[in-house]
Amino acid sequence: MTRWGMTVDLNRCVGCQTCTIACKHANATPPGVQWRKVIDVELGTFPDVERLFVVTGCQHCDEPPCVPVCPSGATAKRSDGLVTIDYDMCIGCASCVVACPYQARTIVHEKEYYYTGRATAQELQRPHEERLGVANKCTFCIERIDDGLAAGLTPGKDMEATPACVASCIAQALKFGDYDDSDSEVSRIVRDNNTFQMHEELGTSPQIRYLYEVPESMPGRDADADVASLANPANPLVGKRQRYWDYRAAMNFALGGMASGLAIIAWITHLMGLLNTGSLQGANLSAAGIMAIGLFFVFLKLGRKGRFLKVLLRPQTSWMTRETYCVAAFFPAVGLSLLWPHPILFALAGLAAAGFLFAQGQILYSAKGIPSWRAPQVPWMLMATGLFEGLGLLALIAAGLNVSPNLGSILPTFGVGLAMISGYLLLSYKWSGPENSIGPLAMADINQLAPIILGAAYAVPGILFAIANAVPGADVLAGLMAVGSGFFWKFMLVTRICHQQGFALAKVPQRGSGTRAAPARMGHDVA
Amino acid sequence: MAPDGGGKTRKVPLYCNQCVVGPDLFMVEVEDGIAKSIQPNFNVKEHPAEGRVCVKAYGLIQKTYNPNRITRPMKRTNPRKGRNEDPGWTPISWDEALDTIAKRMRVMRAGGLFDEEGYPKLAVTFGGGGTPTRYMGAFPAFLSAWGKADMGFGSGQGAKCYHSEHLYGELWHRAFTVIIDSGNCDYLINFGHNHDAAGGVTGVWRQANARSRGLKRIQVEPHMSITGASSAEWVPIKPKSDPAFIFGLIHRILHERDWMNICDIPFLRDETNSPYLVGPNGYYLRDRDNGKPLIWDNADSTAKPYDADISEAALEGTFNVSGVEHGPDSETWEHEHIGARPAFELLRDHMAAFTPEWAEGECDVPADTIRRISDEFVAHARVGETIEIDGKTLPLRPVGILLGKGINNGWGGYHMMWGRTLLTCLVGALEVPGGTLGTKVRLNRPANNRLNSATHGEDGFMHYPFNPTDRQSWKAKPSVRNGYDTLVPLAANSPWSAALGPAHLPWLFQKDQPTPWPRQTLPEMWICYRTNPAISSWNGPQVAARIAEFPFTVAFAYTQDETNYMADILLPEAGDIESLQLSRIGSTNSGENSWHHEGWAIRQPAVEPAGECLDMTIIATRLAEKVGLLEEFNGAINRGAAGMRLTGEGFDYSLDTTKAHGCEEIWDAVAKAGSHELTNGGNVVGIDWFKEHGFMLGPFSRLEWYLQPRLKEKRLRFEIPYQERIKRHGVQLKRRLHETGITWWDHQLAEYDPLPRYERFPDIWENYAAEVGRDPDEFPFWAVTSRSMQYAWGANVGLPLIREMANNISGHDGVIINRTRAREAGIEEGDPITIESAAGISHGRAHLREGIRPDTVLMIGQFDHWATPLAKDFGLASLNTVTPLSLSLTDSTGSGADLMRVAVHRGHRSKEGNTA
Repeated sequence: MTRWGMTVDLNRCVGCQTCTIACKHANATPPGVQWRKVIDVELGTFPDVERLFVVTGCQHCDEPPCVPVCPSGATAKRSDGLVTIDYDMCIGCASCVVACPYQARTIVHEKEYYYTGRATAQELQRPHEERLGVANKCTFCIERIDDGLAAGLTPGKDMEATPACVASCIAQALKFGDYDDSDSEVSRIVRDNNTFQMHEELGTSPQIRYLYEVPESMPGRDADADVASLANPANPLVGKRQRYWDYRAAMNFALGGMASGLAIIAWITHLMGLLNTGSLQGANLSAAGIMAIGLFFVFLKLGRKGRFLKVLLRPQTSWMTRETYCVAAFFPAVGLSLLWPHPILFALAGLAAAGFLFAQGQILYSAKGIPSWRAPQVPWMLMATGLFEGLGLLALIAAGLNVSPNLGSILPTFGVGLAMISGYLLLSYKWSGPENSIGPLAMADINQLAPIILGAAYAVPGILFAIANAVPGADVLAGLMAVGSGFFWKFMLVTRICHQQGFALAKVPQRGSGTRAAPARMGHDVA
Repeated sequence: MAPDGGGKTRKVPLYCNQCVVGPDLFMVEVEDGIAKSIQPNFNVKEHPAEGRVCVKAYGLIQKTYNPNRITRPMKRTNPRKGRNEDPGWTPISWDEALDTIAKRMRVMRAGGLFDEEGYPKLAVTFGGGGTPTRYMGAFPAFLSAWGKADMGFGSGQGAKCYHSEHLYGELWHRAFTVIIDSGNCDYLINFGHNHDAAGGVTGVWRQANARSRGLKRIQVEPHMSITGASSAEWVPIKPKSDPAFIFGLIHRILHERDWMNICDIPFLRDETNSPYLVGPNGYYLRDRDNGKPLIWDNADSTAKPYDADISEAALEGTFNVSGVEHGPDSETWEHEHIGARPAFELLRDHMAAFTPEWAEGECDVPADTIRRISDEFVAHARVGETIEIDGKTLPLRPVGILLGKGINNGWGGYHMMWGRTLLTCLVGALEVPGGTLGTKVRLNRPANNRLNSATHGEDGFMHYPFNPTDRQSWKAKPSVRNGYDTLVPLAANSPWSAALGPAHLPWLFQKDQPTPWPRQTLPEMWICYRTNPAISSWNGPQVAARIAEFPFTVAFAYTQDETNYMADILLPEAGDIESLQLSRIGSTNSGENSWHHEGWAIRQPAVEPAGECLDMTIIATRLAEKVGLLEEFNGAINRGAAGMRLTGEGFDYSLDTTKAHGCEEIWDAVAKAGSHELTNGGNVVGIDWFKEHGFMLGPFSRLEWYLQPRLKEKRLRFEIPYQERIKRHGVQLKRRLHETGITWWDHQLAEYDPLPRYERFPDIWENYAAEVGRDPDEFPFWAVTSRSMQYAWGANVGLPLIREMANNISGHDGVIINRTRAREAGIEEGDPITIESAAGISHGRAHLREGIRPDTVLMIGQFDHWATPLAKDFGLASLNTVTPLSLSLTDSTGSGADLMRVAVHRGHRSKEGNTA
């Protein structure tokens, strides 16, 4: 077997950017896209300071979180460990982008040129239209590897068959080879040196290994947790807000969640005999309408809209595929139930809506590249709030249509319960944020928003529901607040509390000034 | 995966010499006539970095296809020149452009090459470090055919180059530039030497290997540079106080430790002037009969000429000796039985006051750190050990010291150069394996072999071609406008000397002429090539204003820039991957470009030239024809002006001087001559062979890297520690200048010490404000600069790809300022700020970091463009805008330093202090 991988020697890298630019030449990437990126990191406080350059990019993980989330199967892992993207299959949904904890993936939608608006002959010759609107990332120069192997060359040894970044490195900081071959240089390096993998705790088993020590002259040391610097957005270690899932994706979570919640609550209350068939049909129709708007927005977000049906191709792992299957069941069930109001169709619609809501929670939770989304409370939070918002919607419908007096008495009870659950989940999410490795920047957003959401989306509506039987109209106000605030919360979660996983070093070289500097080494006895 | 173009591709070999630390070799992948990508040239296994090139070479395609390129000759239609005057460029034909230039040149020649003040009518300025010669084809032959031109208008050298190193380095160990033998070095003290940004491909490669092997690098600098980043230790020293630090290191060895047991005593006794006896007037005590400096031999307690058989030269003591001192202007002092002391003892006395505690007060580095680093340096030197290289046993001294530009330039540069060379000599680490080495010569001859330039000179030292200061030979009338041969004896008189003189003085004198001094005339024609002094010089805005005063400027232009904005004619040359040239590679060259081979490499048209751009060799030939200098031009090529003499032992590939030759024909002759010489006629090939293969190499022994064995073989000594020649030249120069009435160079003359006296160098910059009527307290920060590997050299500032790369490195998008200090001043990340000095104002954005002293701000690179496309929109501050052209900040070698005292204000302020 073969397992391609790379080593990065942090003590050799001088941050010259030759690997980055060589990659751009080898792969003709557009302006601003750097598949091989080297960041300039500073640790400590004057005069106790250390500076180092960290090579980043696709880690070709053994357990790549980008693969299972891909709904089309465009992203896959080859038997030699290379994580690949089939540009002709990718629909540009960005699920993989937010799933990557290494900020390795990008999507570029429009053709851009370095000299703004003026394409050079080189750029015109290498247009790579196939990469527009789809996910892109480092391929480990897969063509060089495959062509090289076909020509009898050894990647890592023969530079023509080695990733361009490694082949170009002027400090020999980068090495490439087959980890399954114990004689390869990378295997030897890993065997003879202490190395670490970035974000090892996430279970991705990345195949870039970092060397951090030169015995004697520059030993390594543990990295220090410097909260202040991780709150500094100018720090390149700190993840910035993802921009790939914007308001369009947020609309699907905001509207789809409440719509599915409405369908579920309506079906349950129908089963309890609190909602008549006509009202259920109306509620389902409303849910379908709201959900359709959300889906329409998310459709607008796809990089390759014409390929949207490929979203159906990976039900075995992708929650986005599964969500789509639920949609595919929900809409016909709702439609048919209008014509043929059979309990089976209602059940199908209700269960499809439940599946949809569950899938939505899992979609965010699978985005392993966004610590504030992959927190364990997130799927439950999304479901609880979706149900609560759905209940709020039903309360509004019930008030508007005056459907059933019984419903009016039970909904507030459900409402209080769901408000309490949602509120608890939100607080738990906030409290456990740091231990779920949500960074200071996202925590600042959470800390700012959580009290508002807690009050406006859960506490006040919950209280209003609690007094609804005594105060006429309180349930309507509660419903309005639940729906509006819930919408706002999910919109914020997707578009604002969405900082990418930053970069982190488990160990760092011991060099710099103060306590970070390598200790004195006399070499020879002082006379 | 879709292929890129699907067409037929080929790989074309070329060299890159954009920075001085080249050439390195690469390939251009060309598909259907379009350059597609840059790749290393892995075929050249002999290259020290196995065929790699750095980030800059990868900018060449975007540079070639830059839509902002000037691709047709242009003439100025607006007769007024200045930053606010639109030149009104109009395209013209090559014939019109060259005819216009040639006509002026013919008129100039008709009246002789010199103007009424005796200065050359033609002035020429090239960009840094001689790199333009690797791109200008046969143009040097045109200049040679023309005759004397003023090459002394600087483009920033003196502050931007290793200026003191160039001069003192060549004097002491034939080191125009200095490196360490990093293949063997274990301990390196780097004074602000930003090696990993400036050391080029081979330097980065070698020192990465060395660090990996265990080299411990100590980085002494006010901000943590790229190089400081990967060094074992960062010592945040106060700017310009490095001489105190290095004096502290030396004091530690000579006064706190048992120097007899830790220094390389045989080396000091036999290979330096340490034992030379010095008389009461500070000159060597010499043998009365033969005038040779005397050494006291402890073995038989007698004084002997330095080249006699001496068993045990005395390094300490006072000896009763008779002899004669040779002073300035042939003055002599006869002495009978006086107490004479060896130079080394004078040295010890001289260093006695510079304790680590004293140094701490001067340079802000704890005394204990100074002691430790000094001890580590000595411990790692392995005094007494040897190594075998190519079958020869040589000393092994794996310690080195490198000096950055701000360190070795300007006031204090002499002290640092001397301190570094002395410190290495104390442990015998000069020019030996593992130690501190030179790379090439530019002032001494022959230019292509520094070891062969080590010829016998005075008093047992290497010859050095000082500009004379004696009454008979001193040039009272400078040959060019910067006065290098009048003011700077060390600048020598090679073709490089004008550019290595005080090259900023012409700009300064053009506006503020000192008296007395010959009238500063304007050159009748100025040609500039691959240079932008209006940005790269100290006080770029002032220089731009001076350029605007020139009557006729011819600029070889890539894009519009701040210098050619003032030109009368723009000539577009074919670019780096569009034109043909053959260059020498290998042997030892700048940086750690030390090879085990030497030979030739090609730069050739991988793609057709853009628009009407022409190869420089074609331009030179046509211009020579039009000016009527064709025979002289061809003759110059035959004599070697294109890089290789076309006749030699057993070969004659010279060109017919009577007719114009094509580009291919000229380089074919160079290729044949070059390959003939390289292979002793065994493999003579033409330019077509080079086009296919890219390079040709022959062996170059590693023994040629080290000068010490050659000196030992020739029984020559390193002229360290005592500087009798410098002292004598200083006294003579002072007399000459005073005889002429010149007193404005007196501070500079005070530097001519045989053992450099300490001066508080930071004070010189702090006091500058008072000189121009400002309060020094207004300017509490030091502004320094640092090399940008991505932008430096090569006019890459207009390439968006390079900008994208550079912006990954901190400081390329703003001024680096200490975070705590910034916040105290209410400045946050990204805030607009104004950097103000007593000389100018520059605007930028704040970038807050920890790796910088609180009293220092860092402005990487050279920016503040206002005409160069793309770059003019960067909004970056530049040190060059706030550094003055000033005599008081010019040292005796004619160099200044890249630093200034500044104030930092939040917001963008104009000169009047308004916040914009």
